[in-house]
Amino acid sequence: MISINALQKIYAGRTVVDIEQLTISRGETIGVVGNNGAGKTTLFRMLLDLIRPSSGTIHSKDLNVAEGDQWKNYTASYLDEGFLIDYLTPEEYFIFVGSLYDMDAKEVTGYLKEYEEFFNGEILNSGKYIRDFSKGNQNKIGIAAALMQKPELLVLDEPFANLDPTTQIRLKSHLKQLKSTSITTLISSHDLNHVTDVCDRIILFEKGKVIKDLKTDANTLEELEAYFSQ
Amino acid sequence: MERKVQLLAMFTVFLKQQWTGFWRSKGKSSTIVAQAVIAFVALYIVGLSLFIGINMEELFEELLPGKDVYIVFNGVILYYFGLDFLARLQMQELPAIAIVPYLHLNIPKKKIVWYLNIRALFSVFNILPLLIFLPFCILHLPDDFGLFACLMYIVTICSLMLFNNYAALYFKRVSAENMTIVIIGLFFMAAIAVMEYFRIFSIAAISNLFFQAITAYPTVGCAAIALATTMFLINYRYLAQHLYIDEIRSVKTTKTVTDYSFLNHFGLAGTLAALEIKLILRNKRPRATVAKGLLLLFYGLLLYKQETIEANEFWKLLATALLMTSNVLLIYGQMMFGWQSAEFDGMLAKKISVTVFFEAKILLLTLASSVLTLIVSLYGFLSWKILLMQFALYFYNTGIGTIIVLYFATRNYKSIDLSKGASFNWQGVGATTMILALPIMLSPYIIYLPLALIHPYWGLAGLAITGLMGIVTRKFWLGLLVRAFNERKYKIAAGFREKSS
Repeated sequence: MISINALQKIYAGRTVVDIEQLTISRGETIGVVGNNGAGKTTLFRMLLDLIRPSSGTIHSKDLNVAEGDQWKNYTASYLDEGFLIDYLTPEEYFIFVGSLYDMDAKEVTGYLKEYEEFFNGEILNSGKYIRDFSKGNQNKIGIAAALMQKPELLVLDEPFANLDPTTQIRLKSHLKQLKSTSITTLISSHDLNHVTDVCDRIILFEKGKVIKDLKTDANTLEELEAYFSQ
Repeated sequence: MERKVQLLAMFTVFLKQQWTGFWRSKGKSSTIVAQAVIAFVALYIVGLSLFIGINMEELFEELLPGKDVYIVFNGVILYYFGLDFLARLQMQELPAIAIVPYLHLNIPKKKIVWYLNIRALFSVFNILPLLIFLPFCILHLPDDFGLFACLMYIVTICSLMLFNNYAALYFKRVSAENMTIVIIGLFFMAAIAVMEYFRIFSIAAISNLFFQAITAYPTVGCAAIALATTMFLINYRYLAQHLYIDEIRSVKTTKTVTDYSFLNHFGLAGTLAALEIKLILRNKRPRATVAKGLLLLFYGLLLYKQETIEANEFWKLLATALLMTSNVLLIYGQMMFGWQSAEFDGMLAKKISVTVFFEAKILLLTLASSVLTLIVSLYGFLSWKILLMQFALYFYNTGIGTIIVLYFATRNYKSIDLSKGASFNWQGVGATTMILALPIMLSPYIIYLPLALIHPYWGLAGLAITGLMGIVTRKFWLGLLVRAFNERKYKIAAGFREKSS
């Protein structure tokens, strides 16, 4: 699905991302962990062609993401509030995103029914613009909009941050459900419990480098905790 | 005594932090050109006011010969403050948001309110009247009416200024929608102007009466002091009672889903254009920017001269027509992508091709030009030649102007905070945005002038034909824009990610 080759990003002489070789196959659910400054968000941004790599390439379905828009057809993402359009109401935003995938307003409304529980009655028909929502609720809108695109590749940057406990649990079970489809998911998180619970492969970054690449099993959480408490 | 010293020390700390905040804000245009222009404009305004102030007697004698200088001067003062009040309602910023970080600290509310009130005095509006009126008072009044009268004049003028300052802020705080109040105010002013015209009522007479009373009995000026103090207290009490984050700012109303169905015919480009119309209508700064453009539509009233039209001297009218038909292109288009800086990353990552993205921009600019051109078609009542010229420019704007604007927009990397006001706001404005005005304003002349040597109508035809050619060959230009954009998109996105505070 994705193959990363000799990827480097250098800011003012400091190497932020430095990946020799990394391959992600279709259907994998991958957790990206690492302390602040490990290069997780930068990697995601390069994957979404928002930042130009200093050197190296990222191929998605064998096509270089920096050289075409093909990948946009099957990739959905939510990194931060910059992915929302803050002067729209949530409904308007969902309809807009739906229109990019040829969904009309009715289909979008139908789809949103599935998420009533996830939204906990706070998002729809609230009469507010997205900018007036709390950060957690903005997150919910962004994640729901990403899932609505029925993507083959889903990229979420710290989706659990700012969410209330109930929603965290609901999101986790939803992501697990998605595994039954052939979706490939990339999730970064600071919550080791959540990622080890959801993901079947964990990649640990330190200062831009991959230092651990683990298949999740019973010992993974302990191993990660041992690393982070050093 | 000790408390007062403490209070003063607190103010200095507040002000110092604000000052640092002002200089350290990222959005502040760092380019030397922009700062030089700001400094120049400020100096110009100050200089002009001072010039008017010092030479007021001569100016009055020149403009209204034979009238008593004092009657004119006295009459003008209240007029000035009437207009000043309206201008303040539009442009004076509420110094509210800046206090939020202090609310939770161990600082008494009273101090914060005092600080807000004093902070509000730091405004151009509180310098101009002093520069305009005080020189005349100081130069002429002591000789004619005595020192005490002069002093009371100054005190009265300062009081009126303070009254306006706090009244404007109070109304802005109380009213959720500033625009409605301004419109009511404008109607009120218009009504007074009409009454003045028919001599039913006269501000000048009232103003004159009041200030003449001061020359005779200087203590009358105390009325103005009382007025200013009352307004200050009303404002103080209101602030003290409403010092909560959600109450300092305006009242919220329920937002509903809006759909511009006529744009659906244009496919995805139409959807994106509709999105941007919402951006303009729902955010303070773009809304104010576009509103400013609408004000420019009155230029024609001033500058379309019948003689010029009859003589077919279109080159004299072209600049005016351009300003009216392409002002959205000029002032909104300058920062074409910057308006979307907050969601730019999301736009790039979504399933939107760059070509469609640009088509949407062209659609939006074409719509804006069409609306403006239709409105200014009213000037066609002056002469059908005006219509001819404006439509020639319309084709030129939509065919060529849009492409030029979008090309320059790919070179602007500055993010814009949409929630700030537009007056004196230089965030997102850089050297390129200023240079942009040149090709837009000058290029029509390059086409018009040589052809106009044959006949002025040929010049206009040349503009229209060039524009139409631009529309026909748009595919080619779009390709060029897409390439320019793809080359710089990382730089643009990185620039927009640096949120300005």
